[in-house]
Amino acid sequence: MTRIALQALRKEYAGQVAILDLTLEIADGEFFTLLGPSGCGKTTLLRMIAGFNSIEAGTISFDGTVINDRPASERNIGMVFQNYALFPQMTAAKNVGFGLQTRKIARAEAERRVAEALESVRMGHLKDRLPGQMSGGQQQRVALARALVIQPALLLMDEPLSNLDAKLRVEMRDTIRQAQRDAGITTVYVTHDQEEAMAVSDRIAVMNLGVVQQVGTPAEIYRRPANRFVAEFIGKTNLLERDLVRQDGRALIDLGNGQIIDVTDMINPSASGRVQVSVRPEAVKAASTGLAAEVVDETFLGSHSQVRAQLVSGDIVEFLEFSQRSVLWQRGEKVFLHVDTNLLTFFDAASGMSIMAGAAV
Amino acid sequence: MPRLNFWTVVMILTWLMLFVLLFIPVGSVLTASFYDQQGNVTIANYLKFLSEPRFHQAFFNTLVVGFGGLFGALLLGSIMAFCVSRFVIRGGKFVSLLAILALVSPPFIGAYSWIVLFGAGGVVRGFLRDMGINMPPIYGVGGILIVFSLKFYPYVYLMVSGALSNVNRSLEEAAEGLGLTPWQRTMKISFPMVFPALTAGGLLALIQAIADFGTPRLLGRGYNVLATEAFTLYSAEVGSNMSMATTISVVLILVSMVFVMLQRYVSRRNVYHGNMINKPIRIQLKGWRNVLAHFAVYFIGLCGALPVIISVIYSFRKTSGPVFQDGFALQSYERILFGLGDVVRNSLTFSMAAVALIVIVGTVVGVLVARRTNFNTALLDGAFMVPYVMPGIVIGIAFIAAFNTGPIVLTGTATIIILSIFIRRLPYTVRTTASSLRQISPSMEEAAISLGYSPFQAFLRITVPLIVPGIIAGGMLSFVTAINELSSSLVLYVGSTMTMPVRIYLLILDGDFGVAAALSTILLLLSGCAVYIAFRFMGRNEQALL
Ligand SMILES: Nc1ncnc2c1ncn2[C@@H]1O[C@H](COP(=O)(O)OP(=O)(O)OP(=O)(O)O)[C@@H](O)[C@H]1O
Ligand SMILES: [Mg+2]
Repeated sequence: MTRIALQALRKEYAGQVAILDLTLEIADGEFFTLLGPSGCGKTTLLRMIAGFNSIEAGTISFDGTVINDRPASERNIGMVFQNYALFPQMTAAKNVGFGLQTRKIARAEAERRVAEALESVRMGHLKDRLPGQMSGGQQQRVALARALVIQPALLLMDEPLSNLDAKLRVEMRDTIRQAQRDAGITTVYVTHDQEEAMAVSDRIAVMNLGVVQQVGTPAEIYRRPANRFVAEFIGKTNLLERDLVRQDGRALIDLGNGQIIDVTDMINPSASGRVQVSVRPEAVKAASTGLAAEVVDETFLGSHSQVRAQLVSGDIVEFLEFSQRSVLWQRGEKVFLHVDTNLLTFFDAASGMSIMAGAAV
Repeated sequence: MPRLNFWTVVMILTWLMLFVLLFIPVGSVLTASFYDQQGNVTIANYLKFLSEPRFHQAFFNTLVVGFGGLFGALLLGSIMAFCVSRFVIRGGKFVSLLAILALVSPPFIGAYSWIVLFGAGGVVRGFLRDMGINMPPIYGVGGILIVFSLKFYPYVYLMVSGALSNVNRSLEEAAEGLGLTPWQRTMKISFPMVFPALTAGGLLALIQAIADFGTPRLLGRGYNVLATEAFTLYSAEVGSNMSMATTISVVLILVSMVFVMLQRYVSRRNVYHGNMINKPIRIQLKGWRNVLAHFAVYFIGLCGALPVIISVIYSFRKTSGPVFQDGFALQSYERILFGLGDVVRNSLTFSMAAVALIVIVGTVVGVLVARRTNFNTALLDGAFMVPYVMPGIVIGIAFIAAFNTGPIVLTGTATIIILSIFIRRLPYTVRTTASSLRQISPSMEEAAISLGYSPFQAFLRITVPLIVPGIIAGGMLSFVTAINELSSSLVLYVGSTMTMPVRIYLLILDGDFGVAAALSTILLLLSGCAVYIAFRFMGRNEQALL
């Protein structure tokens, strides 16, 4: 229920820049995720939006109104802290109900909502426990319920699922998504788990060193990464460094042993020189012709296998093998790799920036 | 922003208070030390201090009892803290009680009880002599050190056991996982974490030892320290020498200050956020280790509480005048009832007034220091070190110097005694409040704010309940120190404002031990009540008391 605009935002800790001139728009009701490696400034940015961090420059606006100076208590946010921040002297139920007390909600109604919220995070049976008697994951779920129960206009979550097991994590992320959709709450979600980010987000901002690298839907970020950092951080990829040759008006890349691909229509007309070809594992298949390679190893993962093979050029290429072959690949076995050209992306080797047609240079 | 204004006002008032109650008195002491008896400016007093062997000896002796007391307290206190917080000790609560008893035992009674047992005509000594064992009487520096160690170890014990039980269990477990032996774990993980508590407790013991003049007076037999010198010079009926007394006071302040700085320096890098969730568990020892741990804990505890036990017993002994007779009677109490009621009343009203002031002002200023960190508060924090390093004798002399003449005349009033107790004890409350606030992760308040509470409400509803046990405990401890306060009252009292400790001191000097013991027992009972109330009020949270 809140549209957020960040304009040239900057945060410094004792002169050290943590967020550098960051500009972003988050739409009303959007599930927006900040994704990036540890220490890239996700928590810092989230706390700026919440109103707990000072702002050195730039503005934050909610629905077009600059709120830099609005106290955190008046921003109508629900926040899940990275360290949970449960009140140690209160039981789970009291923790969850705490935000309702100040909202002048009738006792019976409040109790019902608390019970409901605790139930939605599977913590109903532990409602009388103190935080000191709960596991990390249980505390985390209470913290989640505490933020959700007040039905805030803006939900800020700092790695709210980091301490849960894989199964519970999927369940909880559906709970969050459901609650968020039902009430149309604008959500800013912090994680460094890219799979989680892909699963829940409307859009993702990939951050590194306090700078937003790319903003887009999960599909855009995965298929058209703006630079090499994004390509490597989101999903897996094989990077092959090759020469881009211009010949008779065509742009050609020799991947190795005669496999020359024509990328004229895919890349910027001005691009040339050394490039890096990003080959996603799913763009590669074992075939009867193609790039000659030798199998290095195979990791069996149930529904499929990850196979690593070494090209003649020395590059290691990882690909997925879905055919349920009864014999595993053997080390040293010869294989030909077919590459689906349509799934490739290209970066300038020196700058690491995308040279795909239409990409910002 | 009304909030900002509130804190600005608090800041100004705090400085004003410090100015009147601290800077003016200390300034007066300082200036007085630069005048001679005739009112001429001079540095003769300091030259005299430097040239007279008597003062050299006092200076040296002060260091001896200070460090002796420090090491004794550190040794006993940390052994006890370690055993009680890491091993299952039967009657652990009782042991803590013994430590508290030692802490709250009225001043001088410690020294006096040891004389009763091990003095020239001591009971135990006599008994041993009958068995053919000859031991020297306890007088002299050895006796002083024994008394100091046993009197001040609770500071170390309580500080360190508090810190030890706040060490995050997972830290030690992590260290264990890294393959560190228990000894390495203790030295590398726990020791650095309790180091600040250790030095803080040790510092308390050191400062108290330097400031104490009753014990050296009774036990020393001519062993002079700076505190006794200052008091003698001040109180001598013939040839009272105020300027020399203030000179020694200045030296005493400087000595204390050096130690405080030293403590701050050695523990400067050790700031850890405590942990309220993952507390360590106690190990059940087996065999001789178990016996040894129990023996150590109970031996220290009982020795520390011995003076209390002795004075309670002696308070019920039959007397004839000041001389003890065989058998028991309530004579000593009767004499208090019919002659010393106003002394008891004075003690109660003065202490309660002082504690009320201390709790209110101390808490507000503690919050100011912990939460409004800026240059001003850092300075304030520093200024609060000053009363911390002021021995009671010096505060007394300083208040006389400042409020005897001039715009504010307070000498001979109850107010001056209350204020002297207030300013001496205030830094402790400020510090405990500030440090317990710093222990609480700020994100808890932020969570409340995110739920729609104003910062002030968040503070009130989340943080205050977490620090209230500490504040109550601090208040109760302040009451105990207030009601037992002797050295500044001794300088400041007049006939109508005499307090129980002062009376006890005079009684002991008069040789009227029966009444002294009875009065001490009453004092002890009152202190015990304060401690008990704290326990009741806080319910389960026993550790937070101290
Ligand atoms: N209070 C602080 N004072 C100084 N530097 C800080 C402070 N908080 C964070 N930083 C620094 O700012 C940078 C960004 O920190 P931030 O906590 O935002 O990272 P993050 O992306 O949330 O990382 P993680 O995934 O590990 O939680 C880091 O380099 C961190 O060291
Ligand atoms: Mg973070």
